[in-house]
Amino acid sequence: MIAQKNPSSDTFIVIHPLDDAPEVKRTGEHLGEMEMTRGVRTLLLVLRGYLILMIALLGYHILDLAGVFSRHLHR
Amino acid sequence: MIGNNLQSAVPGRVVNSARKQRILTFLMVVGPGLIVMEADNDAGAVSTYTQAGAQYGTHLLWVLLLLLPICYFVQEMVARLGIVTGEGHAAMIYRRFGSWWGTFSLIDLQVANFLTLVTEFAAISLAMSKLGVSPLIAVPLSAVALIGLVFTGSYLRWERIVIGLCLLDVAWFVMAGICAPHWKDAAIHTVVPNLPKGPISSSLVFMIIAIVGTTIAPWQLFFQQSCVADKRLRMSDLKFARWDTMLGAIFTILVGGAMILVGDAAYRHQIPFSDPAQMAADLAPSVGPFVKNALLLMMVNAAVLGTTAISLSSAWAYGEVKGWPHSLHRKFKEAPGFYIVYGACVFGAAAVVLIPKVPLQLVIVSVQVLAGLMLPSAIIFLQLMLNDRQLLGDEYVNRPWNNWVNWIIITVLFLLSLLLGAQVALPNLFPAS
Repeated sequence: MIAQKNPSSDTFIVIHPLDDAPEVKRTGEHLGEMEMTRGVRTLLLVLRGYLILMIALLGYHILDLAGVFSRHLHR
Repeated sequence: MIGNNLQSAVPGRVVNSARKQRILTFLMVVGPGLIVMEADNDAGAVSTYTQAGAQYGTHLLWVLLLLLPICYFVQEMVARLGIVTGEGHAAMIYRRFGSWWGTFSLIDLQVANFLTLVTEFAAISLAMSKLGVSPLIAVPLSAVALIGLVFTGSYLRWERIVIGLCLLDVAWFVMAGICAPHWKDAAIHTVVPNLPKGPISSSLVFMIIAIVGTTIAPWQLFFQQSCVADKRLRMSDLKFARWDTMLGAIFTILVGGAMILVGDAAYRHQIPFSDPAQMAADLAPSVGPFVKNALLLMMVNAAVLGTTAISLSSAWAYGEVKGWPHSLHRKFKEAPGFYIVYGACVFGAAAVVLIPKVPLQLVIVSVQVLAGLMLPSAIIFLQLMLNDRQLLGDEYVNRPWNNWVNWIIITVLFLLSLLLGAQVALPNLFPAS
């Protein structure tokens, strides 16, 4: 409820969201995991692989920038 | 009298026209959209935008204009999701995509956020040092103030203070005006995509990616959804939440543009760029002490805004996933886990900055790359959730045009993410300068 109109006097009452009565939300608590097509599932699997690869690459780059590999070579 | 009965029953305000009702409702709803956008103009953004101006003048202003609709469309989706479900982003990913993706998103968010917070405190340290205040005083004091900001147990108090800090950013427009840019060139470079003269160098590509990465960050998705849920926005507030998001997007892009124009002053005076604080000091003889002091103070303001928003996004996300009470309405003893995560983020990052010889460059690179990696995949989840009819029903799912826009955004972000990965793996992909 944002505002209620008073039909007899053309006035509105505006209520702040924090003062308003709680409304029923679509929380999806009863739904569990999303139903996905095979295509979407494959896409997410590819995405998972891509992210793991890129994070490994980032880890390598950071260690490289920190001089871990060059120090190792100098020994 | 129905009106009088209503007035006595609910704590509302009476107005006498539909127009006033809309304006007042907007003023009550405004906050999460403005804050999430303006907090994104954090210390990293100040550094990136001023560097873009200092190195390339006004040539990259068009990138910001392109990012305006992207910012709006992405954040509108999280606002919608937050209002309809009343839950945060981390909770929704856990519930709808399972524990692997839930854990991955949470860990990635926490790591990227913590590293970003380190850069925020580094900026506070840098700027306050230039103003003559020791980092040993400035950093702990800022951390304590940031803790005090949220520990009041009042969402509204936090929101009002943070909106005030956001509005301080109009100082960037004053600074840009004093720097007297070539307005005609700036206007042309804003609406006509163009690149600086010379070959496409590695630093130019990095700069464009950095502008994109700093304008749309993964924490923003988590922050705004949790924020609208904490503010208990109603489904009937959605229209006003969209205006709030649009207002925030326009304001943040204008402020970002002003930062580029301030950096452009260094470009025109041929001042080499090392960091924004040094640039402020170097600019003083050319544009006066006001710009120097204002720039340094605005750096601190940007870092404070970024820190409170990013730490809250971490605390909300952690609280949602762990099932802890997680709200700014609650006092510390009612939601200890939530406040402890917030405090740990703030104090942890502040402590890291005070460690002598901390490798800040490594931190900055890690932040940029982690955010660049996380963003496209985060938006894919957003896209899937916004097409989830079981969850949102027909009324709130994306329309076909929404989906087209979002897939274009995802494709562009993925290409930039791949380019970033390629740059990291093959540093000689583009000429050095």
